[in-house]
Amino acid sequence: MNDPHSTPETSGAGIRFEHVDVTYPNGYRGLKNVNLQIAPGEMVAVVGLSGAGKSTLVRTINGLVPITSGQITVGEFGLHGLRGARLRQLRSEVGMVFQSFNLAKRTTVLNNVLMGRLHHTSAWRTLLAAWKKDDVELAMQALERVEIVQKAYANASELSGGQQQRVAIARALAQKPKVILADEPTASLDPPTSHVVMRDLQRINAELGITVVVNLHFLDLARRYGQRLVGLRSGEIVYDGQGADADESVFESIYGRSLTAEDVLPETTAELS
Amino acid sequence: MSVAGLGAGRAGTLRRPSAGGPGTAGGSARPTKPRTGWKSLVALLVVAGITVWSAIAVGVDFGALIENANNASNTLIQLVQPDYSFFPQTVPALVETVQMAIIGTAVSVIIALPISFWASRATNPNSVALGIVRFVMNVVRSVPDLLYASLFVTVIGTGALSGVFALVLFNLGIMVKLISEALDGLDRGGQEASLATGATWFKANRQAMLPEVAPTYISQTIYVLELNIRASTVIGLVGAGGLGMLIDKVRTFYQYHYLSLIIFEILVIIVLLELLSSFARKRLIK
Repeated sequence: MNDPHSTPETSGAGIRFEHVDVTYPNGYRGLKNVNLQIAPGEMVAVVGLSGAGKSTLVRTINGLVPITSGQITVGEFGLHGLRGARLRQLRSEVGMVFQSFNLAKRTTVLNNVLMGRLHHTSAWRTLLAAWKKDDVELAMQALERVEIVQKAYANASELSGGQQQRVAIARALAQKPKVILADEPTASLDPPTSHVVMRDLQRINAELGITVVVNLHFLDLARRYGQRLVGLRSGEIVYDGQGADADESVFESIYGRSLTAEDVLPETTAELS
Repeated sequence: MSVAGLGAGRAGTLRRPSAGGPGTAGGSARPTKPRTGWKSLVALLVVAGITVWSAIAVGVDFGALIENANNASNTLIQLVQPDYSFFPQTVPALVETVQMAIIGTAVSVIIALPISFWASRATNPNSVALGIVRFVMNVVRSVPDLLYASLFVTVIGTGALSGVFALVLFNLGIMVKLISEALDGLDRGGQEASLATGATWFKANRQAMLPEVAPTYISQTIYVLELNIRASTVIGLVGAGGLGMLIDKVRTFYQYHYLSLIIFEILVIIVLLELLSSFARKRLIK
């Protein structure tokens, strides 16, 4: 499982939120005075209803959503007002996995994974697709880690949803990131595939020591894969603690109602009981 | 006006029971079909009105067509009898037309690709640059091909070179419009992911947007080539080379047997190209 080529020179970066506010241009407040400290190498699951600010929280970490006030520190970078080349440098150290996979469908899997090397590739090399050998090797290793390397030269559109998400994870890995953000990575997948993707993320966290922050809609997935669970409700943190400790009253405070069968993956309930 | 008033009034009365009825639970009652028929009727009347007004203004007279038919019959008889012995003399012009179309297409589509990325909201985050490029391209596109041809014939002189320049500008307008609009409509997931890895917009567009737009780009290139064959026959009329110049010559001397052969040749080229392009497009876009 552990191939000797990619011994972890990457290790996690810490993330700190200090009094973070996000107000969107339309006046909607995405985050309200969020304070949060994530240690290097931690795996954190963020849960909450849709609209609670999960996506906003995750997207502030790589600057896809700019913060209005407060400060976020990722490793050595302060995110408030971070722009241009410095922002791109931060982003090169933070991988991201999206709900809808976000692959370029009409090109090969390998080309999609190589996206993770764009920051380190010059503009003319990008233009001519003259990738460095090392970068191609790195991309192949990333594909091996998520066990999909046999599809390297297939078009991304030929892959199933679960396979596409694993390619997206490989793309994040090819960045040699210190942090991986996952914005509802299982929301477009069926229950068994959801577990495959979550186990990949868990394995990457454990083996490479990369800090992982993952948004999840389903509580059982969050409890199972997040060492730590952060609950958001209308832009505020209402729970922060061990996933295993989160009981009925905690979920009530996050969801504003008691837990129902709709809040857990249908097939997992059977599997767990 | 009266039509509109009537329609609105009726819709109001019909809506009352479902909206105001005390027994209806919210959202469970079937909604009444909205009455929008009158809008279509008004639109149809307006369009019909404009058409009739245009016809009167232009002086459409179908009677004249029949009266002039006698004068035209002689010409028409000649036109249906192409003189095939003229064929060898048309070959150079025919080849020139095809060459002009190919060069014009090649040059314009190469220039059009980077400009298209500049002119699309999806690939250019700078709204000022976007506005400038779009404005310039709108001006370029609004000039008809024949006007470009006359312009270049005046500046450069008669011949194929003027024709090629005219075609390049004419194509550029069309190509940038089509490709930038295709870019606007693309799924931008890959681009977002690239930007999130720390790539610049240029790199993200190259890596994630170019592969997505490539099939459209190739298929529109074939379409532009097709347009150019047609256009290069017309722009020759003002002296910009190709079959058009030959058409102008034989027409001046009332050699309708020759003219009909040229028209027939154009028809054959266009049909062949049409077959080729539909074949190529089918293979490209799956």
